Amino acid sequence: LLKAIRGPLLMVTLGILFMLDYSGGISFARTWPVLLIVFGLLKLGEYLGARNA
Amino acid sequence: MRRASYVAPLLLIAVGVLFLARNLYPDLPLLDYTAKYWPVVLIAWGGLRVLEILVWAATSKPLPHSGVSGGEWVLIVFLCLFGMSLHTVRGVSNWWSEVFPFGGIEMLGERYDYPLAGEHAASAAPHIVIEDFRGDAHISGGDGSTVKVTGHKTVRSLDQAQADRVSDETPLEIAGDANNVTVNLHQEKAGGPLRISATLEISVPKGASVEVHGRNGDLAVNDITGSVSITSNNAGVQLKNIGGEAHLDLRRSDLIHMEAVRGAVDIKGRGSDIELDEMGGAVTVNGAYRGMIQLHHLAKPLRFTGPQTELNLEGVPGDIRMTLGDFTATGVAGPTRLSGRSRDVQIADFTGPLDVTVERGDLTLSTDKLPLSRIQAHSRSGDIRLSLPETAQFALNASTHNGDVANEFGAPLKTEKDRHRSSLRGSVGSGPAIEIETDRGQILLQKSGGQKNGPPKSEPPKNVLPKTGATPPLQKLEQ
Repeated sequence: LLKAIRGPLLMVTLGILFMLDYSGGISFARTWPVLLIVFGLLKLGEYLGARNA
Repeated sequence: MRRASYVAPLLLIAVGVLFLARNLYPDLPLLDYTAKYWPVVLIAWGGLRVLEILVWAATSKPLPHSGVSGGEWVLIVFLCLFGMSLHTVRGVSNWWSEVFPFGGIEMLGERYDYPLAGEHAASAAPHIVIEDFRGDAHISGGDGSTVKVTGHKTVRSLDQAQADRVSDETPLEIAGDANNVTVNLHQEKAGGPLRISATLEISVPKGASVEVHGRNGDLAVNDITGSVSITSNNAGVQLKNIGGEAHLDLRRSDLIHMEAVRGAVDIKGRGSDIELDEMGGAVTVNGAYRGMIQLHHLAKPLRFTGPQTELNLEGVPGDIRMTLGDFTATGVAGPTRLSGRSRDVQIADFTGPLDVTVERGDLTLSTDKLPLSRIQAHSRSGDIRLSLPETAQFALNASTHNGDVANEFGAPLKTEKDRHRSSLRGSVGSGPAIEIETDRGQILLQKSGGQKNGPPKSEPPKNVLPKTGATPPLQKLEQ
């Protein structure tokens, strides 16, 4: 399941980061590592899920 | 096999709705909306897909190998590139910070306020420049011969020490000689995510000219006899009692309000509302303003150029109110020339030649001022109603390709009807030409009752237009 929703969740994150950028809050140039973190967390969840299964 | 997704058809419907909206309401600034909101497509697309997969998982249906296919990723990359370029090109406003008065890092940390005060001797008519300003400033002219700054700056920071350091790095500096005074808060020196904003009260000699280069914030200037020049990325501007010219170049603005500016006014940029009252000089507006535009008592010519509207006239003794869909004017001095894409137009009490062209919309034109000048009114789709004094003299050529005509001026004008087309032609006395044409809509020529030196009337004429406010719908014309 985590693997299947990984792509869509990354898309949502990307959209939110762009929205934050346009809101004048914090620029995408500074927030892009959040994408890596989200990707990493999902991967981590996948491994943990696979080990428990 | 890949399971069919609901997302693609939903996106297709959304795109269809957008194009339909564009066709039905051409004045909607869809390109601006797209530039602003395109990331919402990513969020919606991803969110819908997550929901879909969760539903499949809950109903124990087989899950796809990956939630987003390779082809879709390519599409997403193109969408991002397209959206980012559009955003850069249009330079649109951030609706987000209007909805929530905070954004990003400003939500974090605490506010630390530092008082600001400074003074500088100046001549009677100095040129005052405020550099790279972020925040709100109120500049007012007075009898003194100093430039006096009071107020405070606000630093958002996680701790006091950092805030203090940033505050020390960004001192208030008032420099220059008596004729040229520069006020600088050095806000650009606050690096990183820290934001410094300031609220200033600046009093200046009455004869001063003011030049502000701002990043964002509201600026108010009043009671000076010099000129005002403001450039800003995002500002609300209020000017009152200005003796000289006013030049505004604002990448975006929520409100531009000017009252009693005696010199020429030049407004450039994009934004929402504009209110001008008692302007003594020529007014030039060039930009995309989506809100309400209100103009009262302009003594000199107005040149208004928007993305879909062009308006030129020689003066506004009365009022003009303009929104994306409506144009209402009472008391305009011509030659008046208005062209627009899609709007209902009402012009009352006009003098001088009038030329109105819209692609879609009803035109309601009325005057009780004689003698008449040349009148031209064209609409591709909409009713045209013209009210003239009973004693008016003119040569009329009115035609509708699909609709009826109604005439209150009687016999001198001949009505012709050929299938769907109708026309009304002829001369009443000898007067200027009036041309009225609509592709689809009714034409109504009415008598207005306003002419004071006309013959006494036994009863008031029917269908007299109200001078201002909403117009009653055009009466149904029977064949």
